[in-house]
Amino acid sequence: MIKRIVSTSFGQAHSGGARFCVPRTRGSASLQKSAKLEGHASACPGLFKMLVSLLAFAGFTAIGYADLRVVATVPNMGMLAREIGGEAVEVRVMAPPNRDAHFLEARPSMMAALRRADLVVAVGAELEIGWLPAAIQGANNRRVQPGQPGYFEAAQAVELIGVGKPADRALGDVHPSGNPHFYMDPERLVEAGYALAQRLGSLELEKADYFQDNAERLEERVAQRMPEWREKTVGAPGVLLYHEDADYLLIRLDVPLLGYIEPLPGIPPTARHLRTLVSELEGREGIIWTMEYQPADGGRFLSRELDWPAVQLPSQVSMEGDLDEYFEMIDNWVNSLTATE
Amino acid sequence: MTHYTISRTRMVSAMTIILVMTGFTLTSALGEERAAGPLRDPLDPPPYRMRALQLSERAGPMTTGTEFNPAISVILDFTYAHITHDLDDPPGFELGGHHHHGHGHGHDHSHGIEEGFNLREVELTFTGTVDPYFDAMAMLAFTHDHVEIEEAYITTRMLPAGLQLKAGKFFSDVGYINKQHPHDWLFVDQPWMREYFFGDEGLNEVGVQMTWLPPTETYLRFGVEVLQGETEGIANYIGDGHHEIVTILPDHGAPERNRWQAEKELREKDGPRLFTGFAKVAPDIGLNHALQLGAFGGYSRVMQLEEAHSSGRLETWDGDGWFAGVDAVYKYDGQGIMGHRNLVLQAEYIYRELDLAYKSRQFETFSSLVTTDANDQKWRQDGLYVQGVYGFLPRWNAGLRVDVLGLQNDGFEGRGTREDFGTSWRYTGQISYAPTEFSRIRAQVSYMDLADDDHNGNDHDHDAWMFVLQYNVSLGAHGAHAF
Repeated sequence: MIKRIVSTSFGQAHSGGARFCVPRTRGSASLQKSAKLEGHASACPGLFKMLVSLLAFAGFTAIGYADLRVVATVPNMGMLAREIGGEAVEVRVMAPPNRDAHFLEARPSMMAALRRADLVVAVGAELEIGWLPAAIQGANNRRVQPGQPGYFEAAQAVELIGVGKPADRALGDVHPSGNPHFYMDPERLVEAGYALAQRLGSLELEKADYFQDNAERLEERVAQRMPEWREKTVGAPGVLLYHEDADYLLIRLDVPLLGYIEPLPGIPPTARHLRTLVSELEGREGIIWTMEYQPADGGRFLSRELDWPAVQLPSQVSMEGDLDEYFEMIDNWVNSLTATE
Repeated sequence: MTHYTISRTRMVSAMTIILVMTGFTLTSALGEERAAGPLRDPLDPPPYRMRALQLSERAGPMTTGTEFNPAISVILDFTYAHITHDLDDPPGFELGGHHHHGHGHGHDHSHGIEEGFNLREVELTFTGTVDPYFDAMAMLAFTHDHVEIEEAYITTRMLPAGLQLKAGKFFSDVGYINKQHPHDWLFVDQPWMREYFFGDEGLNEVGVQMTWLPPTETYLRFGVEVLQGETEGIANYIGDGHHEIVTILPDHGAPERNRWQAEKELREKDGPRLFTGFAKVAPDIGLNHALQLGAFGGYSRVMQLEEAHSSGRLETWDGDGWFAGVDAVYKYDGQGIMGHRNLVLQAEYIYRELDLAYKSRQFETFSSLVTTDANDQKWRQDGLYVQGVYGFLPRWNAGLRVDVLGLQNDGFEGRGTREDFGTSWRYTGQISYAPTEFSRIRAQVSYMDLADDDHNGNDHDHDAWMFVLQYNVSLGAHGAHAF
């Protein structure tokens, strides 16, 4: 059985026909930094003059905004940026939640968003390597170049698992720098939150304490929920994953990881591998987890053969999701374990 | 241009090869299973706050090139080709193109496809960040007999106001497909438009490019390029030099060797000689769609051609030229795995006008040429292609392409005499299988229907089928692809 517990909404925009999400808090901040950001016109007066009319055509809206513009790669990072940045940031998310961030392509609209960004919040650990570097290179924005304060990789701030695996593609689409899907672990998310608060504070000195407070609030809220999740998952039967992604949550909650439906990272399941899994796992208790964007057939087959429940759930909040939605997402994963008992 | 011969048995053997290759990849079982079993976090984490405070010191590596070595990737491109019929270049494009007599054969055909097996090229790419101010890339293309610098340039990282400067040798950003490397093409070969209006290597020049992205909600990109000016189809440059033949006379008795040598009388012009510009706009049409529209143009101060005959006659063309065009690409992200349901539609149109002074000269003495014919020529020609590729299954895609050369294909001689060289068509279909994003096998078939330039009415002389099998693999750290 495949159940889809949470439906995500994506591609819905608040204003101006833009397809990126816009935070509910926009316009309420008191910071005035627009002059600093877009006052470069004098560097190329001739060119600028020539193209002013084209700017008007394209909806030149960069005048007079107050917030730090944050562009997040995936919705979970957008959620984190919104929780930590609060009213001081305006967040856009580039990748929709129902997509595998390993396999996106750099699109011009990403470049347009990055062009005006003060800060990029990426997962890192090579998750976005197929598209983010190209998008940044095409954005002509010096603030968000890797190495600049405006480029932030959350994975740098947390301890990753699987670091230093051999960089051999015979082993699949491996990440020698570690498993990037740390956001499945609420506690690592808190760590990343502190790091992001530091970074935002360095960009916006007057607000450093505010960001720090938000990070502390995030920690408190996660700490409130952890005992419940731990309690619920005591004695859970173990999980078979499609890809190396929910590992972080399973490890955090001490739930056994029974294997992967993919024979190798990034390689879709083969009949032979599925048969091997069946013969290995037959007679055990377990549950099959598949992310929203992953193909469900392998899991469906195993669910039938092993008589295990299979769930397919989102691993990202929606484009404008907040911490509550993230908790709801973790709840759904956790509850899928308890429901089997 | 290479000439090809008919062989049905080869066609059959090629078919066998593709069937075997496809069957092999489909049936091959993948890898061994990983160890199943519980994993445990080896770490006993200290309180968050403490860890956060240490972050500035213990930040791990960023994933975008903070390791000191440049990212290196190697691309191998291997083809088997069979063509059913000898074909020359499309009428009207023999001269402006890259295959004109006496010079075409000396040129590199690294992207061309010849009958039989081809190791078309091995591309070796180095990319990296030089320092906070520059990124750099170098791409070397190795063919079986030589090495060529395909691209080598720096781009700035720190210019203000949305500006970026590129300097070195690079593919011009005019149009859409021009700046793509062969392994990015969705077909085995490039569209005729790129091949015949620019050359085998596309518009690839030494020079500088400045681009500007205004800080707009909608993606807009403007660029100008100042280039040395050597591109075959629009800015071919020869310069002055000696035209020389050696004859041995008489053909019996004691031979006497004679050297005939004279100035070509082609203009010397220092670079830069080619100037281009482009604009691109990409309206935001949703997360699973991308659309980019572009317009481009260029002016070349010099366009020179020569054709040396064994009789000693020298034909030269010396003038200038300009081109302009539009391009459009639409991509749909089908949200499937391994490219399933993805769709790419693209089309480009180009028009060029060449103003050339034509001279035909013959040796009069050992050191002088006399003009036997001269006129002013104007060439007005266009070309376009439309193609679509769809991921009909995970890992599989299929595509169709239509190439048209010379919807307008006019040469004007002196005042008023117009010659229409006719329209040539090519229809191409391809099917690709990509086991991972790092490897691909492709089969392609084309039907070429060239214009009948000598009006002999025998249409069969002007059409041919081409069949190609290709594999293309990418080793190493192959970076992100630009849109």
